[in-house]
Parts: sequence; C-alpha cells; structure tokens
Amino acid sequence: MTFDLVLCGVGGQGVLSTAYVIDHAAVDAGLHFKQPEIHGMSQRGGAVSAQVRLGSAPIASDLISTGEAKAVLSVEPMESLRYLSLLSSDGWVFTDVTPLKNMAGYPDTAKLYDVLFSLPHVVAVNATKLAAKAGASKAQNMVVLGAAASHLPFPVELLEKHLRALFQVKGEHVVTANLKAFRMGLAASAFGAALIARGVSAPIAARVVARLDFDATPVAEDVLNAWVERLLRSDAEALSKRVLAAGDSLPLEAQLPAKLA
Amino acid sequence: MTQEILLGDEAVARGAIDAGLSAAYAYPGTPSTEIFETIHSLTKQHHLPIRGFWSTNEKVALEEAIGVSYCGKRAMVSMKHVGLNVAADPFMNVAVAGAWGGLVLAVADDPSMHSSQNEQDSRSFADFAQVLCVEPADQQEAYELAREAFEVSERLRVPVVLRLVTRLAHSRALVTLGERRTQNELRYVEDDGLYTLIPSNARRAYAGLIDKQPALQKFSEEHRLNALTIRGEGKPGIIVSGIAWTYLREALGPKLDDFNVLRVSVYPLPVGKVRELLDHSSELMIVEEGYPFIERFVSALGLFREKPVKGKLTGHVPRIGELNPDLLRKTFGLPVKTSLAVAGLEDVLMARPPRLCDACPHGDSYNLINEVRRELDSSMRVMGDIGCYALGYSKPYQAINSCLCMGSSIGMAIGAAHAGISPSLCVIGDGTFTHTGMNALLDAVIENTNIKVFILDNSIVAMTGGQPTTMSDAHLEELVAGLGVKKAHVRTITPVPQKHAENLAIVREELAYQGLSVIIARRACVRYVKEIKEHKRERDAAHAHEGDCANCSGNC
Ligand SMILES: Cc1ncc(C[n+]2csc(CCOP(=O)(O)OP(=O)(O)O)c2C)c(N)n1
Ligand code: SF4
Repeated sequence: MTFDLVLCGVGGQGVLSTAYVIDHAAVDAGLHFKQPEIHGMSQRGGAVSAQVRLGSAPIASDLISTGEAKAVLSVEPMESLRYLSLLSSDGWVFTDVTPLKNMAGYPDTAKLYDVLFSLPHVVAVNATKLAAKAGASKAQNMVVLGAAASHLPFPVELLEKHLRALFQVKGEHVVTANLKAFRMGLAASAFGAALIARGVSAPIAARVVARLDFDATPVAEDVLNAWVERLLRSDAEALSKRVLAAGDSLPLEAQLPAKLA
Repeated sequence: MTQEILLGDEAVARGAIDAGLSAAYAYPGTPSTEIFETIHSLTKQHHLPIRGFWSTNEKVALEEAIGVSYCGKRAMVSMKHVGLNVAADPFMNVAVAGAWGGLVLAVADDPSMHSSQNEQDSRSFADFAQVLCVEPADQQEAYELAREAFEVSERLRVPVVLRLVTRLAHSRALVTLGERRTQNELRYVEDDGLYTLIPSNARRAYAGLIDKQPALQKFSEEHRLNALTIRGEGKPGIIVSGIAWTYLREALGPKLDDFNVLRVSVYPLPVGKVRELLDHSSELMIVEEGYPFIERFVSALGLFREKPVKGKLTGHVPRIGELNPDLLRKTFGLPVKTSLAVAGLEDVLMARPPRLCDACPHGDSYNLINEVRRELDSSMRVMGDIGCYALGYSKPYQAINSCLCMGSSIGMAIGAAHAGISPSLCVIGDGTFTHTGMNALLDAVIENTNIKVFILDNSIVAMTGGQPTTMSDAHLEELVAGLGVKKAHVRTITPVPQKHAENLAIVREELAYQGLSVIIARRACVRYVKEIKEHKRERDAAHAHEGDCANCSGNC
C-alpha cells in the first residue's frame, strides 16, 4: 500500500502543523513515511507545500511522482489547484473555499470556483469561518484535515490523538478549539458523502457543503433528509451555484432547504 | 533503541551530538538553518555541555570550530552552500593543517535555488580542498554519516564536508538513534606548526595532506555506502550518488535489477569501484544531484570515453534544477503516469510569489527611497543586498536593483560611485551589515566616498526565520561611528508612515552632503516579535556575564 498526499496553502497558514499530525499518526499506525516540506523564502506569504508519502513498505523517494497523489489538502482554494499534476486521475481535493488574495492578479472567484467544482472528487469547506466559530481562527488547517480524515489510511482517532499532542503546549483551550475545528471538517465531509450516497450529484453536493455552517458533531438526520429532498429537485444545480456565489454561510436547520427558492 | 521523526537537518544535528560534539557554530541560511537550531535547542533543553552560537558569519564560524578542533574536541560548523564561499579561506587552509579534534562542516546545497542565488555543488569544494566528503541519501544516513564523519575526521586528521541538499535537509522520516559517545578531553594539537602556515610549515603540512590521500581513497573504496552491485556481465551500468539514489529506486523499481549499480556516498570518488563497474558494463549512466561532478571525473570531460558515459554533460539527465523520480523515468525511457486533467486551469492559477509582510518596516523605507530617487533621477539604480528586503526588487516597490551576495551592496555602491554615479545609494539589512557589510564600509570611510548607505535595522535576521542579529539598537550607531563614519552623518530614522515627511527631510539633507552617510532605518520586524524579545533577553544576560568560560555550561 502506498498513499501520497500533497499539503498546501500560503506561507503562515499552518501547512506544517497538518504534516506533523499526519506524520505522527502514520508512525503510530505502523506505516512508513517520508515528508518533504518547503522552508525559506516562500514562507513570506508565497505558495507553500509539503508532501506526505505513506506506505506499508519502506519508501524510496521523498518526492511524489506525477499522477501518484491520492489527495491534495489545501488551506486556500487557488492553491488547491497548484499541484494537480501530482494528483492521480481519481484523486481527491480537500480545501478551504475562502480565497486569500495577498497578491496581484488573483483570479475572479466565480471562475476559480467553476474550475474547483469541476473536479471529480472535491470537498471544499468554509474552513476560515468554521475555525473562527470553533474558537481558533488559525485552525482552518485542522478543519481541512478533518474533512480529509476519513480518507486517510489510519483511524481518525489517531489523528485526534496527535492533534492533541501538537497543541498541548499551547493550553487546553487551544486543543479544544482545534479539535472542534477538526470535527467540523469531519462532519462536513461525512455530510457531503451522505448527500452523494443518497443520489445528489457530486458537484451540487460539494457547492452546498462549502457554505454550510457545520458543528463539531455529525449533521442531524432531519437536516440531511431536508437537503437530500431539496437537492434532488431539477433546479438543484442552479440553487447550489447561487448558494455558493452568495457567500453567506447557511445554518444547519431542517426548515431551511425547502425555503430556498 | 529510540526512534524519532526528524528532518534531514535534525538528523545531522543528532548525529553530531551523539558523536560527542563539544561545540557548534553556524550562520543561518536555508536549507541548513535547522542544524544549529536543533543543536542549540537540545543543548538548552537538556543542559548539554555543548558550546557555540550563531556566529557573525561563516568564516568566523569555521574559525571558531577550528579552534575547538585545535584543542582536541569535536566541533561542527553548519551553513548553506554559499556560506562556504565566505568560509573558503579557513576551509582551504584547515584542509592543509588537518583536523585534530573531529571537525565536520555540514553544508547544505540548494539545487533548484528554492532560496538561493546559485546551485553550486559543495562536492567540488571538498575536492578542491582534497578532503573527505560524505553525502547521505536519506535521513537515517544523515544521522549515521554525521556520527561517522567525526570519527574519520579524527582518525585520518582531515576536516570532513557533509553535503546535504534541500530535499533531504527539509524532509522528515523516522530515524533510529544510537548511543551517545562522551566528549573528548581537552588536548592541544601536538604539532602547532601544522596550524602555523608560514611557508616552511605550510610545505610540510601540505605534503602531509598529500600523504593522507591514499588513506582517504582507501576509506572511500571500502565504505559500505559506496556499494557496487554487479548483476551481470555486459549489462548497462549506473553510478548514482546522494539523494539521487532514492529517486532512482523510485523511478526504476524492479527494473533496477537490469543494471550494474555503483552507489556513491563518500568522496574522493572510489575510482577502483568505478573501474570495476566500467569493466563489467556496456555503458554508464551517471545520476547525481548537482553538478556533473562524478561524470566529469569518469568521462574526463567527454574526451576519452572507452564506453558510452551518459549523464548531465550529454543531456541524458537535466543539467539545471533538482532531480526527481519523473525526470529519471524520462532518462531511462520509462513512462510517467498521467495526472488529473482539468480544463481551464491556466486561467485561474496564478503565481503567488513571496512578499513583505503587511506593515513590514522595509516597505516604509522603500517608499522613502523611491520618493528621493524620483526627485534626484528616476533612472538611478540602488544597490541592494540579501534578506527580506530583497523582496523590494519586486512590485510594488521596485526599489533595489541588485542582490548578488551577502554584504555586496556597499562595495558595489562604492564601485558605482567610482564609475561616476553621485550620490550612489545602497540598502543593507542589519544582519547582513555585520555579516560582511562592515568591511566594505571601512573602504568608504577611508575615502569619504559619496555613498548613502541605508541600514535597515529590523532587530533580527528575518529572512532565515528569526535568528539574532549581532548588532542592533544603539549599538549599531556606535559601531558605525566606531568604524569612522562622521557622527553628524550617521542618522537614525523610524520608518513609519506618520514620520514619512520628517524622514524625507533627513534623507534629503544627507543626499545634499557630498560624502559618506549612513542612514539607519530602525523599526522591529512585525513577524518575529517574540523572538526579538527572547534574543534581547539572552544577549543582555550574556553581556552582563563575566567569568570563567571553560567551566561554563553554555547556558549562562
Ligand atoms: C553567505 C550567505 N550566508 C547566508 C545566507 C542566507 N541569508 C539570506 S538573507 C540572510 C539574512 C538577512 O538578514 P538581515 O540582513 O538582517 O535582513 P532581514 O531578513 O532581517 O530583513 C541570510 C542569513 C546567504 N544568502 N549567503
Ligand atoms: S519577516 Fe519581518 S522583515 Fe521579513 S517581511 Fe516580514 S516583517 Fe518584514
């Protein structure tokens, strides 16, 4: 078994913390790993990335080859597209949907989303918003990790264990907030998967997931049912695009989907 | 048996500590910085009796390490590849003098120039000095070769270069650690003449270095990591070195069995094994990270090939940039996987270059410089230097027009003045100024050259991650005046938008003066606030300390 991952974002967004949690979980699970990362100049607000290579046998190269990554975990939507040449054709992209425009010529958000949501397997979450709600505005990285967690080759509990270990020195409230952020991501991802399992088309599900205001617990059954019902209607695609473009985050209320015109 | 997740840099640090290291010196530089950071933080954390600090520059760092070696103890000095240029003088000469206590230079190269000005290959430097070089392929070997380097340095009495590349320096893996050896006792070098290189001694010492060559060669020929595998008569052969070994295994997988292979991790090149490989093989492909260093030896510049020798010189392996498994697949004619195809990607994926942080003090200094430049002569160029402020070359500032090597701005500004530019402006960081800028300033003092030196004092070495500067605060004014710059023309400003007009008046006054001016723009970096406080606390404590260095734990 080999499992290659690209972690990316912008300098200062905590890409290396995500790597720390995955590395330690992998060792705990008895997997071999190698994990290159970028230090230096690009950490001044430029594009940064790390790679994680996991395997049941020893790993030769530190670097991932073209088309071999199983997933990209990104803390910024445009950055999530930067390393697609490494992603296998059935690979997943997990990303924060909130643009960080610290540069000239940032693309038009609508166009960016068109490309992002055209990917076959994407879980985009409003990690910036959710992290703030969890009580740690810097915890977007943990929301994204949570969103990807069930796709990684070891139990979610191992990630939680090492997430705790990482933040322990910063105090219990930081641990709690990051854990909350992580579980919000987990809930978002599970919700998206449940929509798809119930017949909602993947891009429609992905756009709605990007705007929902998840909690650190799984989404209630009645809310899920309401969304399934709404998103199986013929205008669901247009609705999902409107919801995404509006940018407002939608509360997890069972009455809401039916009210959306 | 303990195992830890370590960066390549951290593995080198641990190997050095476990080899019985007594002192470590370094100058920060990506990708080498974490070597000393690790030694320093473990020393503090576990109260290890290891001395050392961030030195003023790489030359001084190496000289400090040589002093330790002279006294019989083990020392490591770490730096990025271009740092060895600064340290080249002591390096070339300590090669002649030899090591007494184990002396290891951990030098990190940066193929692809992720954070550097060039791709120079430190194996060439080790060869130039005629000393040993070890080149680990992975984190475990980084640990083991660091340990072993001290042992062989002491045994064969040569300094050893441990060559790293960015990918290994900055990649993590699980490393198995060994027992820690105790430190050496203090014991002066027996023959001080070896370190007193007046010509009569130098000839003797150099003959000694030449005499050592067969032993170095033997060490390399016999080394377990210079492994020759002959799989069949007349099969094609591969010589592969350092981290390229990991890429080659990844790229070829089981197809590796179709080749005779010589792995190289220790230099001088094991030429006996190369000969053997060549004898058994139909042709050679040479796969190495960096310069075509091995290839040039083996192919004698391509002039005298008995069998085809392929590699970087022949265009079979890319000459520029770091290698990876995909590039090697192409070299060996193997397919590269296809990746996810996405329509419209180019329209929405833009470059995101690094930039100055919001509210960075350098930005305000550049606004000032740009304004006076517009007044004087908008085509005027400003000599720049290396640090965060080098980002001022790009938009929106476009305020500097050079960035060659650390400390170069002042000398280049003097040269420009001599070429006819008056006044001639330059910009240098506080860290870079004390690294190698101050010598150049002395030249300007002697002549009272009409240059305007802006020292951007942000109280830290920021670019490389927040290491302490040697001089900032009022000490910097004293230093500049002490070098002989007229006090009236050492001006200090605070680069904040509110003081723009006031600062502009000061700069205009200095521009009107036909001689050497130094304008210190002082405001702390906004990103490394915590580190600045911590370094200041440590520096004040060190200044206050007087006493017995020999019996110091290093934590005073
Ligand atoms: C010889 C050499 N050593 C080290 C480096 C790595 N390096 C690049 S910038 C820099 C320090 C810059 O510090 P400073 O001048 O204080 O500027 P700041 O980044 O704080 O703005 C260093 C050490 C280098 N490029 N060359
Ligand atoms: S790290 Fe400090 S010096 Fe560097 S760009 Fe940021 S604020 Fe400026």
